[in-house]
Amino acid sequence: MIAAVLHTVLASGDAAGHAASSFPILPVTILLPVLGVFAILAVPSERGDLARLVALIATSAAGVMTFVVLAQFATGDAGFQFVSEATWIAALDIKFIVGVDGISLFLFVLTGLLFPISVLAAKPDHDPKGYYAWLTLLMAGCLGVFVALDLFLFFMFFEITLIPLYMLIGKWGHGRRVYAATKFFIFTMGGSALMLVSIIALAYLAKAGDASTIANISFDLQKVVASDAVSQGAARWIFAGFAIAFMVKTPVFPFHTWLPDAHTEAPTAGSVDLAGILLKLGTYGFLRYGLYLFPEASITFAPVMVVLGTIGIVYGGIVAAMQRNLKRLVAYSSVAHMGFAVVGLFALTSEGLTGSVLQMVNHGITTGALFILLGFLYKRRHTYEIDQLKGMQKVAPVFAGVFTVVMLASIGLPGLNGFVGEFLVLVGTYLAYPAVAIVAGFGVIIAALYLLWAYQRTFHGEPDDATKAMPDLRGSEKLIMVPLIGLIVFLGIYPKPVIERIEPSIDRVIEHVEAEVPGWSSPTSERGSQLAPVEGHGHDGEGGEGATHAADTEDHSSEGESQETGE
Amino acid sequence: MGVQIVVFAVCAIVALLGALGVVFARNPVHSALGLVATLFAIAVLFVNQNAQFLGVVQVIVYTGAIVVLILFVIMLLGVDTDEDLDTEPLLGQRWAAVIVALLLIGGIAGIFFVEGRGEAVTGQVAALAPIVPGIPSTDAQGNPTTAAGVDTFVRALPAEQQQAIGEQNITQIGEHLFTDYVFAFMITAALLTIAVIGAVLMARRPKRYEPMPELEDTSYEDVDELSTTGEVTG
Amino acid sequence: MSAGILATMASVAQTGIEPISGPIGIEPISAPVDGAVPTPEITWAALLPLIILGLGGLLLLTLSSLLKRKAPRALYPIWTIATAVLAVASVVPVWAKVQGFNSILWWDFRDLWWQPATTAPGPFSTLGGAYGVDGFSLFVTVLICCAVILTTLLISGYLQREELDGPEPYALLLLAATGGVVMAGANDLIVLFLGLETISIAVYVLAASHLRRAQSQEAGLKYFILGGFSSAFFLYGIAMVYGATGTTNLVLIKSSLAESIPRHDLLLLVGFAMLLVGFGFKVAAVPFHSWSPDVYDGAPSPVVAFMASAVKVAGFAALVRVFVAGFGQYAADWQPLIYALAVLSLVVGSSLAIVQTNVKRTLAYSSISHAGFILIAVEAASETGTAAVLFYAAAYTFMVAGSFGVATLVGRAGDGRHSLDDYKGLGRTNPVLAGTLTIFLLAQAGVPFTVGFVAKFYAVIAAVQAGSAALGVVAMLSAVIAAFLYLRIIVAMYMAEGDDGGSDAPADPADHIHVPRPAAAALAICVLVTIGFGLFPGWLTDMAADSTVVLVEQGSTDASTALPGGQTLIVDDEGNLVPAGDGAVAPTEASDPSADPATGDGAVEAPQVQDPAAAEGTASVERP
Repeated sequence: MIAAVLHTVLASGDAAGHAASSFPILPVTILLPVLGVFAILAVPSERGDLARLVALIATSAAGVMTFVVLAQFATGDAGFQFVSEATWIAALDIKFIVGVDGISLFLFVLTGLLFPISVLAAKPDHDPKGYYAWLTLLMAGCLGVFVALDLFLFFMFFEITLIPLYMLIGKWGHGRRVYAATKFFIFTMGGSALMLVSIIALAYLAKAGDASTIANISFDLQKVVASDAVSQGAARWIFAGFAIAFMVKTPVFPFHTWLPDAHTEAPTAGSVDLAGILLKLGTYGFLRYGLYLFPEASITFAPVMVVLGTIGIVYGGIVAAMQRNLKRLVAYSSVAHMGFAVVGLFALTSEGLTGSVLQMVNHGITTGALFILLGFLYKRRHTYEIDQLKGMQKVAPVFAGVFTVVMLASIGLPGLNGFVGEFLVLVGTYLAYPAVAIVAGFGVIIAALYLLWAYQRTFHGEPDDATKAMPDLRGSEKLIMVPLIGLIVFLGIYPKPVIERIEPSIDRVIEHVEAEVPGWSSPTSERGSQLAPVEGHGHDGEGGEGATHAADTEDHSSEGESQETGE
Repeated sequence: MGVQIVVFAVCAIVALLGALGVVFARNPVHSALGLVATLFAIAVLFVNQNAQFLGVVQVIVYTGAIVVLILFVIMLLGVDTDEDLDTEPLLGQRWAAVIVALLLIGGIAGIFFVEGRGEAVTGQVAALAPIVPGIPSTDAQGNPTTAAGVDTFVRALPAEQQQAIGEQNITQIGEHLFTDYVFAFMITAALLTIAVIGAVLMARRPKRYEPMPELEDTSYEDVDELSTTGEVTG
Repeated sequence: MSAGILATMASVAQTGIEPISGPIGIEPISAPVDGAVPTPEITWAALLPLIILGLGGLLLLTLSSLLKRKAPRALYPIWTIATAVLAVASVVPVWAKVQGFNSILWWDFRDLWWQPATTAPGPFSTLGGAYGVDGFSLFVTVLICCAVILTTLLISGYLQREELDGPEPYALLLLAATGGVVMAGANDLIVLFLGLETISIAVYVLAASHLRRAQSQEAGLKYFILGGFSSAFFLYGIAMVYGATGTTNLVLIKSSLAESIPRHDLLLLVGFAMLLVGFGFKVAAVPFHSWSPDVYDGAPSPVVAFMASAVKVAGFAALVRVFVAGFGQYAADWQPLIYALAVLSLVVGSSLAIVQTNVKRTLAYSSISHAGFILIAVEAASETGTAAVLFYAAAYTFMVAGSFGVATLVGRAGDGRHSLDDYKGLGRTNPVLAGTLTIFLLAQAGVPFTVGFVAKFYAVIAAVQAGSAALGVVAMLSAVIAAFLYLRIIVAMYMAEGDDGGSDAPADPADHIHVPRPAAAALAICVLVTIGFGLFPGWLTDMAADSTVVLVEQGSTDASTALPGGQTLIVDDEGNLVPAGDGAVAPTEASDPSADPATGDGAVEAPQVQDPAAAEGTASVERP
């Protein structure tokens, strides 16, 4: 059903423009789950079913709104759309300003899709009221992160997602849930602590605000981007502060250790949303707040990031192959998949970046689906251990079939969605770092190895007694899987509607980087300029910078090469 | 300046030793006497700074009233060991005390004959120098002005100014208390009120007075002995 | 030593720092001996908050002695709250006067009571310049009154539960608040000291006021002895500063430091250090913190709420007033000390907090780390820093009062059940109470959409602006460590062992904690403030930003002659001294990554300052 909606939406998307931009659709979308939380709190605690219903309504309503945004999104427009703005803290030029562009659009929609599904997919074993309240609150935070266009607002949403997920893992998780939840919380908060200082330093040094604010401070993303006051050295330090937060969140290789624990102990919905949405905050942050804000620093650190991403791909794959716990296996596969997103991103080519965004979306869908399936499995067998599972294919053929499709998508089989993103990433990386692309290509093979091996061990063979008693997927469970399988197939066969919405914004970012860093050009700049619309739309955030700083440029011509816009 | 420094050094040492005595003496009466020594030495320091009024008040209020009160309380509560007046712990200490007292009286009396008016002891020189305008800081030879020099200068002033200088201590304190420090003066009243309320509260026996049963609290091992003696202290 | 001081005083007098009506003035000779001494003008209206609080406390005592035991139980708390509310109301017209507007809503203040000498709007001082009235002192006054109200709400149920009813705690609260208000506005070090002693002595007694609990008595004694020790340091510091400058009046100290360099710089610096030791004890900054866990643990929980809010607020207010406003000229000398105190407090406070098993001790250590956060805003020594101090103090007052409010209730009869085990399963037995505590703990951890986050954010802004970004990093990392301790309490409440799946079982009614209505009101206020100002901090940030600390002589209300603390003067093109704007403050230390002179932020602000010669012409005159 949702796939059908999506199809009509994508078809009509081109025609719709800014018609509805007067209606504050994005704030309303974020607010709906918040209202849902209050409604859930009002439900008596013994009525768990009612809480579930309210949560479903709230998340679905927000989900529908995200699809409305998708339907009305103007394809080909690289700038921010549906922008809503309100002053929040005037003295610091902090605004509640939200908007979507091609980069955030599909992540936003993915959030709207996965949350209602995760509400449906699993029930908590105790205290349902609190569970649904936190889950719905988590949705509000995730929606907010992707559309925030103010550094302060972004940080608020980025941080607030921690609390609900912490509670979900810590209270409704399995086994060592408190350990896992605390580790997750401390790791991520440690990363964002540095980011907060970086944000403040950036807002202060950029001096993008007007005279009414303290020290001309401003947290408005577009104003900060347009400012040139940050020196090259400062920008690198600040970028490092951002990067650590995003590396922890993504997670990039040396910072990944919290992820397997968190995934293994999290309840199903927690795993789905963690893998599907929250990991994307890191890579999305790299794109919007790393590359866009610090072009020069990003180029400087790009080789490091590419290498770390590649290590993540290979390491994640190898470690995943050795796991005995299915959830842990999928968690390590996430490390590998997000490694692809990072590599593609820092290849700094149009294909690589587009592939990276696509990979984020695809990974959200396939890994989300995998965790939902594992949740179904846990409900039946109360275990994720590979050793204890055997021969499920014979007992539960539908389950095995669905699992196979999702697994193949995760491996990156052509024709399914996982292939498109990884292929684009590899192509884009090859243009910039051929050797890395070859190594990363092995990651695809390793993925096939560990997933197929795990499949063979758990689904093939003769079922034991416990497995024989296992029922196949029920009707409602099948229904949950339908939209996800539909998307997996649809995006694998026909990714064009997605790519054509992502690409203009990606090209705009690359143009911005090229304009900011003289002497550097993206390895795909020729092709990029062909694809990009020609009207020069991409300068929403950059206009006027040249005039303001012209005087500087003349007097600091020696410095100018490294940091000025090269008028 | 020489005499002044000697006086300061002696009194400072006495004050410190007295303070140490307050803390370390085992007998509460000895502690109280140590306090007397400290307060008295400070009084001398006040005089040394030419703050005669403060010095006198210090002796009257602190040494005379407060410490005596403390001693009363100690005595009323009972001193543990009976004093044996027949035996002297230190041989000949009473005679030594008499001799030292006589020396002290003689010394003080002698100063007035030696120095004329005793400004050197009371430290008038240092304090007068900034107060009286026109006192040269050095004499004709470039040496710092001596006490005698200041004395000569002051004696040359008109009579009413001389009188004013003499009265300055009290007038100055009075004026400052009611101008610059009137607020501080008022808050002191509030401070004393709080001390009284505090004393009342601490001395009040609750209706049901028995120590609470100790709760199992691992972080708190050394509960002091106040609760077992049943005494309420402030 | 004494001779040295004397020599200094003499030399100060000779080098031309003429102490204006200081203790060694010359007036008596010219003034008639028997004539009336001109007494200072007193702007009573500006002292109203002070008078209301002090008089309220005294009248409460009078009332209680007249009524004896016939007084209804609710009389004292209601009286106390009414007094505090009245004091807040009396601040409003003064605030209007200081900020220069005539009316608030329907309340018109014109021709109300202003004396002719102070008709011009702006900050002013009264009582012979001993008490300064500016936005800063008024803001702190309101905060302290809020702390009194919250504590009263908490303590009324507590006293009833512990069978300790009586008027004294309420009277002491009001008088302690008087002392705090005095500290906030003290323009004279002596007055400041007396305010400090007033609030301290009242709180010593309050800490020991649970007469049947040995820990309470021990806490009171410990606090008293260490507090007395710190007071001695403080007093010695005052003496040193007096020795170096010849006055105890902050206005005169400031002008004397601005006009000339004391010959005995060392005396001044030792004085700074001594004063900082005194303040360090009061605000419980490492390494002067050792008393606070023991005292917080032993003292009655509502009193701890007061100690952690009002006493700390007053301490920080005085610290800002003395150092940022008074000794701003010497910021480069004392900033490293504050820097060290801040780093130590942050790191030690949060690290030691996570190994505690007692919730009150945990909160005590977390309060030390919060003190470190406020210190980083003090270290900035700027207007933003002052505003950040106020914002943090306001936020912390409500967060900590709420936290200890919950601890009061969970402590149950006897006020002794504060171990983490006692919090196990609270989420099941008392969901609302547990939820409330969760909000306060998360706010203290600095989670977004709570006032605690904005407070930390503001403090880090001040640090970054002052070029101490490294301090901001340390602060945020220690906040992460501290987050762990808050999580431990949350884990105990919600995720303790045995809470798995069984939580749908009905809670044991014996575990349910009775929440008296006043305490519930206090907690509700704290939650509202914590969340409300977290979502919409604009109003509070504006108020904090307006509450600048200004040292003005009596009789002068012209704010332009007295620059807010930390501001420097620069020479403009015509050779006049003008106050430097925030953007043009000279880059101080190399730690600021933007300090690269060629690409620095200054060039963007003022494009004409590109010629090196012209740049030298506008060099800031930091210390003449």
